[in-house]
Amino acid sequence: MRHSLTLQIGPATFRIGSAWRQPVEELTRLYAGYPDRHDAIADFTVRLQPTGPLRRWVRPSILITGDHGLADAAPMSLAHGLLAAEMGMNLQMALGWRRHLLLHASSVEKDGRALVMTGESGSGKSTLAALLGERGWRLMGDEFALLDLDSGAILPFPRLVSLKNQAIGVVEDVVGAQRMGPMLQATAKGDIRHLVPRPDAVARMAQGAMPAMLLFPRFGHDAAIRPVGQGEAFMRLTQASTNYVALGEPGFAALTRFVTDVPACAMDFPSGEAAFDMIDRLWEDGA
Amino acid sequence: MPQEDRFLKPIKRYRIDPRDACRACALDDLTLLYHARSGQTHMVISPVPEILDSIEDGASVTADDLWDRLTQSYDLGDRGEALAQIGAQLEALEALGLVRAA
Repeated sequence: MRHSLTLQIGPATFRIGSAWRQPVEELTRLYAGYPDRHDAIADFTVRLQPTGPLRRWVRPSILITGDHGLADAAPMSLAHGLLAAEMGMNLQMALGWRRHLLLHASSVEKDGRALVMTGESGSGKSTLAALLGERGWRLMGDEFALLDLDSGAILPFPRLVSLKNQAIGVVEDVVGAQRMGPMLQATAKGDIRHLVPRPDAVARMAQGAMPAMLLFPRFGHDAAIRPVGQGEAFMRLTQASTNYVALGEPGFAALTRFVTDVPACAMDFPSGEAAFDMIDRLWEDGA
Repeated sequence: MPQEDRFLKPIKRYRIDPRDACRACALDDLTLLYHARSGQTHMVISPVPEILDSIEDGASVTADDLWDRLTQSYDLGDRGEALAQIGAQLEALEALGLVRAA
């Protein structure tokens, strides 16, 4: 590919190639604080290439490909090139990673213990992780939590935090524009803007933490907390894992250990402030 | 099952093949079974774990045999109803590949 860079995020290394300069320049700026791994053998390759011979120049249209692909991946405009690269990396992890149990969850760490948050898109798990990461917690990741099959620890995957719609302004007010990526308007998921994690989140991205609490947050509802049984937690986590089936018995052993060791709660919250209060109380009481 | 029907149908025997042995994990509200042969995880509740425990020795059993075994540890209530339920559970477990017709 004409333009490329190699990125390490947590334990995974990605080589991103692009037919256009722009996505690679944006990634280079936003991932400037991450380790330089240009000489590494990458775990995954992500390619951003034109959808057809003319599409490099005329209404540029990006096709995301790589080691692992989806047959029906929709092409994206060059203006969303950064998002295409991020989606490409997520796709490679989701489809190809086998070294840990992959949970579609955000995670933050305090005092060596991890809080894991999982839920549907729009549940607030990314926004909460981003904001907690500015309030004394270490951001471990907003998209994937990696559950170590042997130790039971959660390992970080602190890529750029993907913020959507109203979460963008809320987080920008806290961190300032300097750590934010370009505004990507009118994507398939609305407006998206990326946040660069704090330097300590990047510096410590090889350090895992034992999980101490599992939360199922749900934004936009009156404040409420209910305990979640182990069976429900297990079922929801298998749904939130892209490689549970592929890992076989070691995945079963790791996930059963997780749900029997880690208390789980569903948390409805109307605002960030309400969520912080509830999380502080839960953390003091149960974790 | 009405008494007459049971005499008309051949009495079916079931057993657990050692290769179908499941890795079980009891959670607070249900039991998980990992069936290595298929790679499937099953979420089950009573009486399935009790039935599987009582035939894990690999011997072939009928629903009646199973009733005899289970009733030593559990109060199963009406024998006819319990036998019908045990028979239905064995059929379901056979469909999942967790027990086999002997």
